[in-house]
Amino acid sequence: MSTDTVMASLLLGVGFIVLMGLRILRGKKGPDPMVRPLPVFQELKTEVGYAAESGGGLHIALGNGSLYGQSAITSVAALQLFSSLSDTMVAYDAPPIVTVGDPTLLPLAQDILRRTYERVGQAKLFDPRQVWFVAPSPVAYAAGAAQVSALEPISAEMVIGDFSAEVGFIGQSSMRHGISSLAAVAAPAAIGALYPATSRLAMGEEMFAGSAQVTGERRHVLALLAQDVLRLILILAILTSALLAM
Amino acid sequence: MVLASYLMPAWGLVDLRNRLIEWAVIVAAFTFMLGIFNILQVHGRRLSRRRSGWFYSLVLVVAMALAMLPPIFSIPLLNVPESTWMWADRLIFDDIITPVGATLAALVAFVLLAAAFRLLRTRHSAEALLFLVVVIVTLLGTTPLVGGEWLADVRYWLITVPGMAGMRGLLLGVGLGIMITALRVFIGDEHPYTDL
Repeated sequence: MSTDTVMASLLLGVGFIVLMGLRILRGKKGPDPMVRPLPVFQELKTEVGYAAESGGGLHIALGNGSLYGQSAITSVAALQLFSSLSDTMVAYDAPPIVTVGDPTLLPLAQDILRRTYERVGQAKLFDPRQVWFVAPSPVAYAAGAAQVSALEPISAEMVIGDFSAEVGFIGQSSMRHGISSLAAVAAPAAIGALYPATSRLAMGEEMFAGSAQVTGERRHVLALLAQDVLRLILILAILTSALLAM
Repeated sequence: MVLASYLMPAWGLVDLRNRLIEWAVIVAAFTFMLGIFNILQVHGRRLSRRRSGWFYSLVLVVAMALAMLPPIFSIPLLNVPESTWMWADRLIFDDIITPVGATLAALVAFVLLAAAFRLLRTRHSAEALLFLVVVIVTLLGTTPLVGGEWLADVRYWLITVPGMAGMRGLLLGVGLGIMITALRVFIGDEHPYTDL
């Protein structure tokens, strides 16, 4: 086994032990771990309410990540956040338009929406055309998704998932049409492109805190705690190796 | 099993991994068909109801149909000369789609610059000013300005010291988030696509 494989295995093993340990020790008992509030997620439900009051809908851009590439887990995190939000959107009668840039996300996004409508007893209101496959290339997807704010009655826009610098098209379009915009992206290029467009931006690892912030479910919060523990372990490892290298 | 095959390439796990990946590729290819039907559904409805932007939907549907023609013509049963469908293929992909994609990509830089300047009007903060200063210095440092070689040095320092440090910290955090999310998928804790 190469050194990289050994290190990756070690990190995965430590991560698994930390995650399972927290689930066993704090899964059902003990005080709720504290989570730093992130404005972008705290204001999500408010934005959904405003959209419902104004009669407009929401645009959820899930990006061009696929389920088979390097961005698979980022896409899963985006789907999880969309799933957490969908109950609120359907309950408030603020129908979303969901755009995806990879067809592997299409059936999953449709299924999340369908099950949400079924849960609230309004299965007949579900329309699979609420989820749009825009284009497989990142730039074409961004240009197509930017058109949603121009052509559809949208009150708010949520950009979550795998994006790159071309997400600037979407941010610029929402700025031009006066649409309230929130974003949660992991890639540095996307962060730089969205920073001018919206002040409500979750950057990098904050994106993975979305589900915990929106639902408050203990299992999501414990995952954040596991991330913090691993971060501390990583910092100690880096400092130790730096000291040993002197 | 796929993960185990990378850690323990024995007991036929590698063959099993390759077979599973082949099946995943086939399923992913079928999702492209779903995507095509979705495009026809969404834009077909816009066309039939003459909703705003219907002309763009018409262009999209016609362009999609035209782009499907060269692969269809390449079917041997149709006896279309290879030179004909190759010419159509080159025309559509090399002469239309590629330049249009490059044009859109070139627009990204201008869109970002416009957004950066608009930032100063909408947000009056030290961070916004710093963002704009860094953007301007980085852009000017890339251009071969006479007498502006020091800008290139400043740009290099910005990219290699604070920029690289920030990006590494960001990517470390993202990596940890990805790892924990992946572990949760493995243990069945993260499943946005089921009701379990």
